[in-house]
Amino acid sequence: MPLEIRFNCQLAGGVHARPASALEELTARFRSEFSLVNERNGCRANARSVLALVASDIRLDDACRLEIAGPDEQEAHAEMARFLRERFPCCDNDIPTVQPPGEEFSLPPDLRESTMTYWRATPAAAGIGLGRIVEIEPFELPETLANMRPLGAEQERRRIEEGLYALNAALAEQAARMPSDAAAGIVAAHQAIARDPEFRASLIEAVTAVGLCAARAVAESEAHFSRMLMATSSELLHQRVLDVQDVCRQLLDKIYGEAARRSEAPLTEDAICLAESLTPSQLLALDRRYLKGLVLFQPGTTSHVHILARSFGIPTLTRAVGLTGRRIAGELAVVDAEIGLLATNLDETARRYYAMEQDRLRRRQARLLRLAEGPGDTSDGQPLQIAANISSADEAACGVAAGADGVGLFRTEMLFMNRDRPPSEGEQFEEYRRALYAAAGKPVIIRTLDAGGDKPLPFLNQPVEANPFLGCRGVRLYPRHEALFRAQVRALLRASVFGPLKMLAPMVSHLDEVRWMRRIVEEESARIPETGQQGKRHVPLGVMLEVPSIAFALDHFCREVDFFSIGSNDLLQYFLAADRANPGVSGISDPLSPGFLRLLKKAVDDVHTHGKRIGLCGEMAISVRYLPLLVGLGLDEISVAVPAVAEIKAALARLSSSDCSELLTAVLRSPTAREAAECLDRFHQQSCDPIVDENLILMSSGSRTKAEAIKEIVDNFFVQGRTDRPRDVEVAIWQRESVYSTGLGYGIAIPHCKSDSLRADTMGLLRLDQPVDWGSVDGQPVKLVILLGLRESSPKETHMRIFSRLARRLMHEDFRARLIEPCDPASTLNALQEELELA
Amino acid sequence: MRIVAVTACPTGIAHTYMAAEQLEKTAKRLGHIIKVETQGAMGIENELRQSDIDAAEVAIFATDIAVEQPERFARIRTVTVPVQLVLRDPAAVFDKL
Repeated sequence: MPLEIRFNCQLAGGVHARPASALEELTARFRSEFSLVNERNGCRANARSVLALVASDIRLDDACRLEIAGPDEQEAHAEMARFLRERFPCCDNDIPTVQPPGEEFSLPPDLRESTMTYWRATPAAAGIGLGRIVEIEPFELPETLANMRPLGAEQERRRIEEGLYALNAALAEQAARMPSDAAAGIVAAHQAIARDPEFRASLIEAVTAVGLCAARAVAESEAHFSRMLMATSSELLHQRVLDVQDVCRQLLDKIYGEAARRSEAPLTEDAICLAESLTPSQLLALDRRYLKGLVLFQPGTTSHVHILARSFGIPTLTRAVGLTGRRIAGELAVVDAEIGLLATNLDETARRYYAMEQDRLRRRQARLLRLAEGPGDTSDGQPLQIAANISSADEAACGVAAGADGVGLFRTEMLFMNRDRPPSEGEQFEEYRRALYAAAGKPVIIRTLDAGGDKPLPFLNQPVEANPFLGCRGVRLYPRHEALFRAQVRALLRASVFGPLKMLAPMVSHLDEVRWMRRIVEEESARIPETGQQGKRHVPLGVMLEVPSIAFALDHFCREVDFFSIGSNDLLQYFLAADRANPGVSGISDPLSPGFLRLLKKAVDDVHTHGKRIGLCGEMAISVRYLPLLVGLGLDEISVAVPAVAEIKAALARLSSSDCSELLTAVLRSPTAREAAECLDRFHQQSCDPIVDENLILMSSGSRTKAEAIKEIVDNFFVQGRTDRPRDVEVAIWQRESVYSTGLGYGIAIPHCKSDSLRADTMGLLRLDQPVDWGSVDGQPVKLVILLGLRESSPKETHMRIFSRLARRLMHEDFRARLIEPCDPASTLNALQEELELA
Repeated sequence: MRIVAVTACPTGIAHTYMAAEQLEKTAKRLGHIIKVETQGAMGIENELRQSDIDAAEVAIFATDIAVEQPERFARIRTVTVPVQLVLRDPAAVFDKL
């Protein structure tokens, strides 16, 4: 009789890779056999196999039984019992829980009548895309490998054994270099798979018993274990399929080298690509002319592919619920990353809806581009350059097209990540040159490698640091990796011939660091002609202002530094001693803290006193909310993510610099962040747009239903920049509509709502070509829709007065006639202005 | 007839004021004297004084939500109607009095 330990699984995510690895590690210390039985489903797993353990689908609260039999079963039993009681339940305390899509989901009213098939998913990059589904197979063997004739069972077995040996060695080395527990945990999970007895057995069996070549054996095993993981109910385990794939790819790489790397079939028409996951390089390899949408089943371990998708404006969904295993390749589909769904079998209703959606996004984009073409000025002519943040040369062109005045921050880390060795000088030169070329003569600020901290690089061999954010990161790494830094400097100097390139140093805290950098730059600059290449003699060198201390030594810095860029994220967390990613202290790292705003003010003033330029490139720049403060500070430049460029530029054009400096003075006087926020909110309320203008009056609408009419008006609010969340405004409108119809008779309806999703109190008019049913009090269809949107937190008096006057006037026939009869926006607007005493 | 009225709708943005206007217009046409208080998004406006209420014969509540400060109307006959009826058929409201 084996010894037994009974327990209930207390792990919220069930027994996934990490707890399984921990259990498996412990079994290695004993010679006994261990079987873990899931009593809910009867699955029995060899506890020495992580893959078998996770496939037994043990969920929270499942009753389990661990059986132990063998020579050292007594010690093993004691040790295991303690482990299962003490350590096992906290195995994944630090794993973020996967959010299941919220229950409150409901289709927009316009889509509820549709018969389309749809799957919900989590939006990762906004937009609507239409195309045919192309499935990108999770693991496709290059044909040369797939069709390879086996060399014989023994030789193929040796290939597998040697491959596994090399892989285990490589992983062990990789694990030792990981700077954080979380990163090491990922490698540990890979190691557990690579040494898994069942994984090995499956590979060996495929080559010896089935007679496959090693490559096919790896592919078959991967498919087998992926299926096994996908068959479980845990989303965490579904994500682990990526790890199996990863290990299998690395194994193939170890066995076959170059020949194991694959290439995708090119896209030839508008496509929605479905993939388990994509690496950034895979995404970049897809033809973006045809790539209209992405559906990734798993969010993956890095968000780089999402950042890239956002920069390229590719609508992207992750975690499509229930889609796994469906055969939908070749079908026409919509990726709706606005509400989060993938739809096929589109009927007339859905097609009309998505035509409206695409129209909405296109018109908004067109408006933003018009605004983007203008200069980056306030209404009273104070310039503020709006530049783009990028992390690859490809994004530079997108940024300039979106109206950016150049590149304010090129993060070069991306070039260095996900690879075994750093990019060569030539490779870097090519990338920087392309960015300058794309920027078409506009300045490009390239930040030298900012690794360390939250961005470890395997080839830097960094020791584990207790507090990497306060450790060896940014410029502090350069002296230890001088050759690496010199190569980057040479690549930058050579690229500088192709446009106005500026160099930016991250994480500077002392002038000595700048001097050291400058010396290297000068040495390399002198050496370039010797190698027969070209480079500018002098390239402007700036520093990131993220270590607070340099804000108090700017007079010294200004003598030796050409420009400054405030990294508001890091500066904020260093200045207020609160980790911005830690939700427990999120309230503390508030950019509106009086001390922080004063620091910014001091920095900008000091730099300007010395005649140098200063910009800001953190998250603070991306928010229209903070923009008046940034204008008030008198910054020379702000740099934001590419998709935000046009909206920020448009918002800038609405601000007056004198109002902004008054605001800043008032905000700087506020003793707390809360009072500063109130001050800022009041400013935004007062400086908002008129309640209605000609662009908000739509004279000829083809909408066929009440739902379409409401959507058309609210979409137009979105196009005109009155709201960024039209769906929320619609929901509020329909909530009111559900109490009773706002059709007031006489062919008029006045849907209305209060919603802080509106940027300003707004009135929109829509005249319908074909009257539509509105459930009006007099039973008559509606010809004219007047939609009223009021912000929840609006000052009550001003605009409510207009709305109440409108409501009262609508009870009079002469007023109704003035609204219904004219056929151009100008005279309707005129009627409104006169009757409601606007203007 | 001397009448007081209160109008109030769910959001207080539109129907409160439409109903008030409609009641005033119709009362005038029918030869009544009316004073209408609105309880909308701007709070209470055109507030009825206790003396207005005491002098009236009847109070109309054209309301879809609870009336604020209802104690003022403790000693007067009240007729409650949905706001929509005032819009659809205001004369019918006065027939109920």
